[in-house]
Amino acid sequence: MHNNKLKSIYFSLFVAFICLLFPWSGLALKLRPDFMLLVIIYWLLRAPNQCNVGTAWFIGLCVDLATGGIFGQYALAYTITAFFAVIYQRRLVLFNATQQLVYVFLLLVISQIVLLILKTFAGTEPPGWGYFLPSITGVFLWQIAVTLGLNTGRQSRSN
Amino acid sequence: MLPGFHQNLEQQQAPAFFARGPSPFARLVFFAALSLALMATDSRLKYLNSVRENLMVFLHPLQVIANAPSLLYQFTGEYFSTHHYLLNENAELKKQSLQQQITLQRLKTLTLENANLRDLLQASKTMEETSTLGEIIHVGRDSFTKKVVVNRGSKQQIIAGAAVVDANGVIGQVTRTYPSSSEVTLITDKSLAIPIQIERNGLRAIAFGHGRDNTLDLPYLPANVDIRRGDKLITSGIDGIYPAGLAVATVTDIKVTPDSPFARIVCAPTGGIENHRQVLLVSIPQTETVIDSASPDNHQLANTTKRTINKTTITKKPAVGQSTNLSAHPKPAAGKPLDSNSKPSPANVTSKPHAQQ
Repeated sequence: MHNNKLKSIYFSLFVAFICLLFPWSGLALKLRPDFMLLVIIYWLLRAPNQCNVGTAWFIGLCVDLATGGIFGQYALAYTITAFFAVIYQRRLVLFNATQQLVYVFLLLVISQIVLLILKTFAGTEPPGWGYFLPSITGVFLWQIAVTLGLNTGRQSRSN
Repeated sequence: MLPGFHQNLEQQQAPAFFARGPSPFARLVFFAALSLALMATDSRLKYLNSVRENLMVFLHPLQVIANAPSLLYQFTGEYFSTHHYLLNENAELKKQSLQQQITLQRLKTLTLENANLRDLLQASKTMEETSTLGEIIHVGRDSFTKKVVVNRGSKQQIIAGAAVVDANGVIGQVTRTYPSSSEVTLITDKSLAIPIQIERNGLRAIAFGHGRDNTLDLPYLPANVDIRRGDKLITSGIDGIYPAGLAVATVTDIKVTPDSPFARIVCAPTGGIENHRQVLLVSIPQTETVIDSASPDNHQLANTTKRTINKTTITKKPAVGQSTNLSAHPKPAAGKPLDSNSKPSPANVTSKPHAQQ
């Protein structure tokens, strides 16, 4: 079971990474949810023994590489987000679906805010509210996954 | 799950419920510090460029995989396109090629004539550029930086600094090269400056990307500058990076406010910044300049001008303040080495006749 879980973690991360690398453009690019972060949050909730803050950091580094930005931006954003996901993990799995959704939304927003702060230090102009659209699409994606039967709570207590 | 459970029990003598290794907060501090250190090294010291290049080798196959679905879609679309459509397209292309051949013939005679005239004037020849066709394989997911990745890299002799154009105009510049792909910063990116010229009156200026809404800015031009709405901006070619005469943008809006000595000029890029997949990577070989320049003195002159122009493009704000008289700017800078030569010294006497030959 242990191995199976690790395999599915790797596989889901791989799929999310491919999604990230799709040639997005135009409106789709603005709406594109943060696939990697969603997958990390899911595994932080479901498999906290296999997936931790360090994993999030490493994944963030991969995203940095893919986006061609300064090394460490996404790594830092994902690390901080993962920290907030981990410290409330025990309560989070007991939440009902709506509460969980709100929490996931907050986590996505946290990562975007961290990125925004880093970018502001680098000297870019503040973007409009449209900047937070990916968080909303991300939550939609989460909800779709849950309605399709992805188990995001309860069972993980038996770990 | 069970083996891990037992191990944890033996090691820490605590229920697995609590056994999680270092606390999340300790991990947060450690990894946050690590990423901050990485950011500092990457942005200030530039050590990580080679590391990044090597890691891109692993990333490239993934990009190819990610592109496969859209490529497959295009391929099947082409495969099942109707006979009628193909015939139409063929006729259209034939017509287009005929028109282009006519202009091309004129171009050939003009190039010859131009070369002859330049020979007569003993001016340095225009640099011949090499171009490679590339395809955009990945658009950066970051909404702040306008960057794309194309599928040609240092293996195909692409060098950082090459201009990237499509059928309608300049779209950007290669900023990083990897073995089989390269990163292109679009002209709408905030960090990219491009020396331009107004097609109508030859006025030189430098355009900066606006960063947010796919436009370019022409900052630091006086309020009474001779620019009108609809003016075409073309590359001036004085930077030695972009070939001269490529379309860049069209002026869409000019705002003059009484509280600012500068006009705010907004331009829309002519190239399809976010439309096309195929792009042309145009690079001017650096060695060509050495061969072409007639005398070593001339060469040095050209080099110094180039350097000063580069400087003005890189050190953004204070230097570009004089961008309107940029044409006059290289002259004093190029004159400097001559001034220092004209000091009374024995070396001067020997060097002067040599310089005049």
